Amino acid sequence: MSDFIPSGGGGQTGFRARLQHLGGNLAGMVIPNIGAFIAWGLLTALFIPTGWLPNENFSSMVGPMILNLLPILIGYTGGRIVHGQRGAVIGSIATVGVIVGTDIPMFLGAMIIGPLMAWILKYIDKVLDPITPPGFEMLIGNFSLGIAGMLGAMLGYLGIGPIVAAITDVLGSGVSWLVDNSLLPIASVLIEPAKILFMNNAINHGVLGPLGVVQAEETGESILFMLETNPGPGLGILIAFWLAGPKLLRGSAPGAIIIHFFGGIHEIYFPYVLMKPQVVLGAIVGGAVGVATFMVTGVGLVATPSPGSIFAYMAVTPSGNHLGVLLGIALSAAASFVVSWFILKLSKVDASEADFEAAKTRSKEMKAGK
Amino acid sequence: MASISASDVKQIVVACEAGMGSSVMVARQLAKQLKNEGITVVHAPVHELKETPHEIVLVHRGLSARAKQAVPDSVVIIFDMFLGDLNIAQLVGALQNGDTISDG
Repeated sequence: MSDFIPSGGGGQTGFRARLQHLGGNLAGMVIPNIGAFIAWGLLTALFIPTGWLPNENFSSMVGPMILNLLPILIGYTGGRIVHGQRGAVIGSIATVGVIVGTDIPMFLGAMIIGPLMAWILKYIDKVLDPITPPGFEMLIGNFSLGIAGMLGAMLGYLGIGPIVAAITDVLGSGVSWLVDNSLLPIASVLIEPAKILFMNNAINHGVLGPLGVVQAEETGESILFMLETNPGPGLGILIAFWLAGPKLLRGSAPGAIIIHFFGGIHEIYFPYVLMKPQVVLGAIVGGAVGVATFMVTGVGLVATPSPGSIFAYMAVTPSGNHLGVLLGIALSAAASFVVSWFILKLSKVDASEADFEAAKTRSKEMKAGK
Repeated sequence: MASISASDVKQIVVACEAGMGSSVMVARQLAKQLKNEGITVVHAPVHELKETPHEIVLVHRGLSARAKQAVPDSVVIIFDMFLGDLNIAQLVGALQNGDTISDG
């Protein structure tokens, strides 16, 4: 089975590992802060004028959170990954420059300037540490961070903010063009296979999420949050494996369905697809059907549902959108189930026994202490 | 190829991309299985592997390249399935029997 999994044994320092690394870093800046996203998403879903319980006072928190708090948290975390607490502090300072330089949620800008300034500070520290006289560590440490942070905030205001705003603008109009021409479902052709190769977090939190919040800030909701996170295609695949998959895999499928659909950990179905790579077609068809349904019914979410569980979906669905959202998830699950089921039935040659033999041999080798 | 004797294993780290999703799930399952062995099981993002004390790293095949890059000298066990994986079952067996464990 391992033959199908590209990042397996040998030379895997290639393009994919590097891309995954970059994507991992983007996602690594967002995922630790998901709790704050959920707080913001719930405030939005509940208290904005079109929400469940419209409330002017509580909804006044929505703007400051999305425009200030969330980008600063991303810049903070990005800085921390590069250079610990000092990196986190300078990342936050510089992110403020990016934020006030534009009027859109600056997630991408924060993802750039947070780690960048932390990286610069790391080098400043490397130079200053050896020449700092004893007793002056605190003075020099605080002022080097303070001065570099001030310059970083200015750089963000003048440079990174406007550039990222322009890039976001171009990408945003590209997405609107896809939506206007009913071409958005084609995105599934790229998204679903990349997802299976463990780029799910990079795609969602690194690309689609930051574009989605810009849209959500303008119109209150965005379809972009649903392109990668839809649990429907994975659900269909797992049900197909449960009913028609290799015998060795059937037993674990029901548990995987619960973890995937309710727990939102999509990673659990990737190995099933990697063992029968043709099944990725089911994921693509399911994904495209889902996106098409969301598009036709005109629904969106107020925030990224993370993890991609049905519960998270329901929590960030604005009132009035539930029918379209549920319909899209159900249809995508059905479509991916039908396609995957046929693929599994047609490839009747059961690879699982060969796998099992290979695994047994490996097990013997291991016991022999090789 | 790195290897280690079961009696020297004090802590196993399960790695995933963010260190918050799938690794937590696998780590909790494994911790239950190894409770009697006195081995702790923790989870971490791949990029923090170096700073996380461990004797054995457990990682999904899709991220194994980055795990090896991060900690080239550690015993890295690769698994394919998040539920009912054969390699993980073998690892548990080897730890319970006191065997020597090497990369795989």
